Amino acid sequence: MTSTEPRLIPKLMGARVKRKEDPRLIQGRGTYVDDVKLPGMLHAAFKRSDIAHGRIVSIDTSAAEAMPGVELVLTGAQLAQHLPPQPVMTPFPAPPHHAITPDVVRFQGEPYAVVIATDRYIARDAADAIVAEIEPLPVLVDPEAAMQPGAPQIHEGFANNVAIFIPAGTGVDQAAGTVNNAAIEAAFAQADVVISQRMINHRLAPTPIEPRGIVAHWEPGKEALTIWASTQSAHLFKGFIAGLLGLGEDQVRVIAPEVGGGFGAKLIYGEDYAISAISRMLGQPVKWIEDRSEAFMTTSHGRGILGYIDIAARRDGKVLGVKARLIADIGAYETLFTAAIPTLTNGMLSGVYDIPAIRAELTEVFTNKTPTDAYRGAGRPEGIYFIERAMDMLARELQMDPAELRRRNFIQPHQFPFATQAGNLYDSGDYEKALDKALEISGWESLKAERDAARAEGRVVGLGMSFYVEICGVGGWEHASVTVQKDGRVVATTGTSPHGQGHETTFAQMLGDQLGVPIEHITVLHGDTAIVRQGTGTFGSRSQVAGGTVLMMAGEKVRDRMASFASHMMDANPADLAFENGRIFVKGSPGSGKTFAEVAGYAYMGAGTAAMSGMAYPPDAQPGLSEEAFWEPGGAGTFPFGCHIALVEIDRDTGELELRRMIAVDDCGTIINPLIVEGQVHGGLAQGIGQAMVEEVVYDEDGQLITGSFMDYAMPRASDFPMFEMDKTVTLSPHTPLGTKGVGEAGTIGSTPCIVNATVDALSPFGVKHIDMMLRPERLWAIINTNGGQA
Amino acid sequence: MEITGDHHFKAPRDKVWQALLDRQALQASMPGCERFEEVSPESYDLTIRVGIAAIKGTYTGNVQVKDLDEARQTYRLLVAGSGKPGHVQGDAVMHLTDIPGGTLVSYTGEVKAQGAIARLGSRLLGGAAKLMIGQFFKAMEKQVEARTT
Repeated sequence: MTSTEPRLIPKLMGARVKRKEDPRLIQGRGTYVDDVKLPGMLHAAFKRSDIAHGRIVSIDTSAAEAMPGVELVLTGAQLAQHLPPQPVMTPFPAPPHHAITPDVVRFQGEPYAVVIATDRYIARDAADAIVAEIEPLPVLVDPEAAMQPGAPQIHEGFANNVAIFIPAGTGVDQAAGTVNNAAIEAAFAQADVVISQRMINHRLAPTPIEPRGIVAHWEPGKEALTIWASTQSAHLFKGFIAGLLGLGEDQVRVIAPEVGGGFGAKLIYGEDYAISAISRMLGQPVKWIEDRSEAFMTTSHGRGILGYIDIAARRDGKVLGVKARLIADIGAYETLFTAAIPTLTNGMLSGVYDIPAIRAELTEVFTNKTPTDAYRGAGRPEGIYFIERAMDMLARELQMDPAELRRRNFIQPHQFPFATQAGNLYDSGDYEKALDKALEISGWESLKAERDAARAEGRVVGLGMSFYVEICGVGGWEHASVTVQKDGRVVATTGTSPHGQGHETTFAQMLGDQLGVPIEHITVLHGDTAIVRQGTGTFGSRSQVAGGTVLMMAGEKVRDRMASFASHMMDANPADLAFENGRIFVKGSPGSGKTFAEVAGYAYMGAGTAAMSGMAYPPDAQPGLSEEAFWEPGGAGTFPFGCHIALVEIDRDTGELELRRMIAVDDCGTIINPLIVEGQVHGGLAQGIGQAMVEEVVYDEDGQLITGSFMDYAMPRASDFPMFEMDKTVTLSPHTPLGTKGVGEAGTIGSTPCIVNATVDALSPFGVKHIDMMLRPERLWAIINTNGGQA
Repeated sequence: MEITGDHHFKAPRDKVWQALLDRQALQASMPGCERFEEVSPESYDLTIRVGIAAIKGTYTGNVQVKDLDEARQTYRLLVAGSGKPGHVQGDAVMHLTDIPGGTLVSYTGEVKAQGAIARLGSRLLGGAAKLMIGQFFKAMEKQVEARTT
């Protein structure tokens, strides 16, 4: 792999190349699942439970079946005869989870029947006409109540509604199943200061702009299923559908067309299996497009972890130990990654700090709510939130500058690779450099003075900082292919299937530099399992690390073949050839040489045709310029990091929280496209700040989702933000040939604790040491205006 | 969601009490009432059409008068209804007192919703309930008037 480095001269890489995807998308010329219209296509509507927990006594589908245009009505029990329960992708025990429940509804919105009709509206009206008697069962909304002995059971075989219990960290030998408390107890015994705080990292709804959707088309003659789905991974989707329907993977083709956002929540769902199975039963194409109400109710939620955090330190600020008792409110079922996500929280509890003893105890609890699964950051934001809030509380207790406290505890550059007590192996980092840059561009010292001056005027102003690290590039192997066509143009395929990340641009930049081809001559294809032979998908900020690296490996092989043919044509040594601007020439003589089209034409000629044309073919050469590669990232992931600083002000009269400045210094290793990286950080910051300031999924005590529309579930808007002030440091990863680390989730992870830290700082004159999100104006107002508004 | 309020009737307390518990007066005062059937004394099945924003739809359900206490001039009113947008339940204690020039009917109770009404309409539910209660009392006022003249 290292052989690519010396030959690679970055020209496109590192440049602010505008996204190739954008012209079609901003002109409304993209094709999404709902744009797919097939002859004879039927439409589905799911009948969903209005109550959060109940046993189905009877379902009367006769009125629905009698409606003109209705082709099929299936209850969960009927579908279950054709479709086994859904699989999960974790090693943990999971209760049976049917695509459509056959017996018990366990959260509001869970489907118990489906209607297939000639028209979407007929299907929906017919679903409304289904009448079910559902005997209510006790509803569990609070995870701490759900895990009490004697609480009603949501699933058989999971006592006290506990899905899994996982201890992690210092003294825990997971393989042996033993726990030794000596080191963690000793750390706390030596401490001058111990701070304990219960903190909630609340539930969020991922709300991609395009809801979920699927068109499944079983062709009886071919015995093959073609699926268009809004998914982050066409290949995982294909494998799961084939598995559950008992088909060969060759019988299933999955196309993920344009995907309007996923944020971790768009892999595969019960509706996808149901629609696929029904298309096969009927031998006709069937479409289902989720509406926004269904998206709030049934697309997996994110976060939802409660932490009891203890941090122990010496008076000089040195952190000696961290204990975390975590309770994850995972909802009613385990979906694909549900049970694995909170385990990532365990792993992040060391943050960027050299903490000698860490103990986490994670309990995942079933409740009568929508299942949780990956949501941008997926377990890491929760872990970083807990440690960064704890560090901030410690700084306040020690009356130490939060920047100084962090500096005293950083893992130092010479300590990498660094094995944290929380169980991760960090690849590289220079945290002090990022801190210094953030302090410099924010004007930290003058910001403190500004805050103090504002306070003296009676204003409620706060300054906060957070420092994050996270794991990218996990999730296994990836695949790519690179082909130089006969016309000299380049077409590549990637198994990482984008949903807004700009792969078509970034990957073209990389290939453009590697092959010396103008970016206009490169097309990157993705998201169609018939075109992209193999793949894993886009999640966990893995595309650049896994997908980008394997793409360069395939590209390198093609370049070698090009060099071999070109050197024969030019009678030159392959090592002396330069690839530039679509031409291959002997170094130093750019005027001579051959175009890509000329070399490709020769390469695809074959020895026979070449001989007839009077041209010699390289001895033993086989024709063609197409190569593929598989690669699994080594190491245990890449670890980008960064420092965020926020200045907030709270209106004394309204409690409204205004974010006045937001500074973000991020280090994601080598940057291929700064525009795209900045865009990722912008979006990430917005989502992270959104969690702190406006977004929250709320259920009432009966398990009714009362934030079921954008009227009640607030999304952050541009007007909520100041201009983000961004900068970077670059620390290379030793695990990737280009030193890339990944950036998709970074902003989301760092910004949330930063906002809360700043808000607690603003409220500290009123005696506040901690406040749980989200930061509702009414709560802030109440804090400021008790005691007559006097600090 | 808790709902409290009151309505001022310009009629003597016994007339108001009688009207509030009278089958015909109840039927005539239910806003959007399309069907009203007595199941047993003080329990009625009914169909109501509601035309307010997110809770718009036709609801079938039941109204019950319970815990009638003439001496203390209070009773409980239980309302439950289901329609396409979901399920609504109300439970209110009504209390009548004499005031100069008439009768004050005050109520305090709780409204619960399930389904789309809860998801989309919880913000509107209180307002919609108040609006319908207002319509109910206005109509009831006419019933009381008709009975006193």
